[in-house]
Order: sequence, then C-alpha cells, then structure tokens
Amino acid sequence: MNVTGFALVIRAPALLSLLLAASTYAQTEAPTIRLFPTTVVEDLRQTSSVAKEMETGLQEVIGVLDQQQQLYVESKCEGAEEDQGCQRLAKQLGATYLEMLGIMEERLPDMEHTVNNTRLSLEKRLRSELGKKMTPWMLQETLLGGNPRDVTAPSPTLRGRSGMRLSERFKQYYQLVASSNSQTDQSLAVLASDIYLDMEETSELIARTREEIARATLIEQLNQSFGAITPEMMDVVGGVKSILFGDEPSLVQIAGPPSASIEKAYRSPLEN
Amino acid sequence: MKNTLIAVRSLFIVTACGALLASCASTPPPCNGPQSRNLEKAISEVQSNLTGGCAAHFDRYFDDLLTIAEGDPKASNKRAFSEFLVWAKDEGLVSQRQAKDNYNRYFNVKFMSMQGDYNNCSHTCPHRDRVLLNMERELSDKERGLLKVSLDNQGYYRASELYQEVELVLEATCTACAAGQ
Repeated sequence: MNVTGFALVIRAPALLSLLLAASTYAQTEAPTIRLFPTTVVEDLRQTSSVAKEMETGLQEVIGVLDQQQQLYVESKCEGAEEDQGCQRLAKQLGATYLEMLGIMEERLPDMEHTVNNTRLSLEKRLRSELGKKMTPWMLQETLLGGNPRDVTAPSPTLRGRSGMRLSERFKQYYQLVASSNSQTDQSLAVLASDIYLDMEETSELIARTREEIARATLIEQLNQSFGAITPEMMDVVGGVKSILFGDEPSLVQIAGPPSASIEKAYRSPLEN
Repeated sequence: MKNTLIAVRSLFIVTACGALLASCASTPPPCNGPQSRNLEKAISEVQSNLTGGCAAHFDRYFDDLLTIAEGDPKASNKRAFSEFLVWAKDEGLVSQRQAKDNYNRYFNVKFMSMQGDYNNCSHTCPHRDRVLLNMERELSDKERGLLKVSLDNQGYYRASELYQEVELVLEATCTACAAGQ
C-alpha cells in the first residue's frame, strides 16, 4: 500500500475547500484572469465531497484499528503468536485492516474520476489564461499585483504541507482565504498552479494506489489464514494515522524578512 | 624645382609620421578604480574617469560603486545609483535600455529576465530552465542591490518570493501547455 500516494489523495480536499472559498471571492471581485469559472468550482466541490467521505470512513476504521492494536500489545501477544487468544486478536486486526483497504478501494474510483475532471478543467484554464494570454512580463506583473504584498501575511503556496491534523489544515486554509492579502489575482494564479500540480500528482498516485490495494488485499487475505500481523500492515496503518490525525504539532512558519528600518520607498525614473 | 617638390613632400611625410608617433607615445588614461570609500565621492571620481576616456570600463566602475555602497548600506543609495545611471545615459555612455536594465536588475523587485513579447506557451515554456536560471542569477544581484546596498529587506524578500511563485506557476502553466499540444 502506498502511503505517500494516500497522503496526496487525502490532501486534496483541504486544497479544494480553500479554492472554493477563493473562487467565490474571485467571482464577486471580477478578477482580470478567470482561472476558476463555475465549472471548475463545481468539479472541485464534488472532489471535495468524495474526499471528505473517504476521510470520514477511514477515520472510524482507523480508530478501531488503534484499539485492536493496543489490545494486542497489552495482551503481550508479540512473541506469543501461537497463543489462540492472540491469533484471534490478530485475525480481528487483519479483518479491520482489510476493511480499511476496502473503503479505499470503494472510494478511489470516484475520487480518481473527480480529480481527473478537476485537473483537466484547471489545465484548460491555466493554458488559456496564463499560457496563451500572457507574456512572461504580464505573468510577473500579475503575480506581483498592484501593491507589494504584506510580508507578514502567510504565503498562499500550499504544496508540501503534510503531517498536519486535517481539521487544523482546514482552519489554516480558511484563514488564508479570509485574509484580504490572499484574495487577489496573484494568489489565485499561485493557488490554481498549486492545486493543478497537486491534482496531477494525486491522479497518478491514485492509479498506483489502486494497484497496490489489490496486492495488499490479496496478501492480507492470505495472512488471515495464518493470523499474522505483518510489519507492512503496521506501517500502512501508522502512515494513514499520521495523515488523518497529524504528526506531533509542528508550527509551519513562514520566514519573515530580516528586520531593519525601511525608509520611504524611493522610485527611480528608470524603474519599470 | 622637382627637387624642391620632393623635399617638401618628404618633410610633410616626416612631420606626419612624427606627429603620429607622438600621439602613440602619449599615456592612455589609467582608468583606476575609485579611491574613496564614500559613495558620493566615489561616484564623482568614476564620472570624471568615464568622461576622461574610460567609458569602456563602465561595467567595472558600476561594480566598484556597488562594492563601495555595500560598505555603507542605506536606503538613499538606491537614489544615488539611479542618478548615476541617468547621468551615464545623458552623457551617452550607456543607452536608455542599458541604464534601465542595470537599475532594475539590482534595485527593482521585478525580474528583467522575465521580459518577452510572446506568450508563455510559445516563448517561455520551451526555455523554462534557462529563464529560471537567469532569474536565479538576477535574484543574486537583487540581493546585492536591494539588501546589501539599499537595506530594502522587504523588496528583496518580495523578489525572492516572486521567484518561487514564478517557478511554481511556470511549472503548472508549462505542464498545461504541453498537455494541450
């Protein structure tokens, strides 16, 4: 089972919620670039909903896995695999693991479909709005915006934010969208790029993950006959838990500028 | 009569050669770098040298001035460099475009490497690596101009952020462009 792949699948809904809010703003403010028309928003809404269902379903089954694993350890079953009680516990654990794989297998095709739709919609908008309608200089000016961004505001760049509790990530995304500095054309361009690249990776990884699930299911079904708990199984459960519930709280901080007194900005007649 | 004519002609040739040799022997301007560590004085020295036959050394002088300014960084240095470049343009030492390029490369948040008249799909994407490499080099010059010379930390921070944003947006845009081909 590919945990990295799963991480990206799970990360998608958070990105989507951010985009939904951002696009709502974009519609009201009539931006000069149209990266998020209604169709894209609708695709995103659907992806978000499918991902949320998967997340909820997994959260429950992982809770059960947790309890079963705890019981297995507390019963001192490690090293006592021949014990009948331990074998029963191992089988129960394996069954729950299979259930987890089943949920993923059931939800992933829908997820794959909606992710692909979103990816294709965004791809079209990016190609048209940023690729064909803009020169590099225009792109730069769009990213810079009319005014220099407040450097203390969080950057809208989202890629690579993992290992954080999902609810906390949603909260951060909400704050990002709610802050006035991120609701501009320049951050929408970054956001669209970010989500598109994420969707590309996700799409690829979903396909790989589906293949892996089939393999992992077969192995676990065989293990059920022997009642063994494999290290791979524990790794997968650990990986999924860290994604859903987050690692140890770590502050994602964005570096501020070095402190120094900044005099009133000088504008040269040579400036572009 | 004929002999006199030959003599005059010979005298003329000898004089001309003499004059030519004399001009060859005259010392060219040393074009030394500015001696003062004070930016204002250093600029005056450089201006004097540049108009005194050292125009070909413009780039070296500009670099010398940046080094001197790094020794006494302050926001007003930005204006000093702008005025120096405007002067150089007015003196015909550099073109308007060179003056702008030099100023913006070091003291503006915007990247001169992002100039271009064609759309990104057709112009930027095929040379994306080169564009980004040029931007990276330019960012290093902006670090010097904005941060080390002008103490414009906010400007440099924004330029650095812009570079990262361009990198991300170009990656996505160029992937989308390639998918549409």
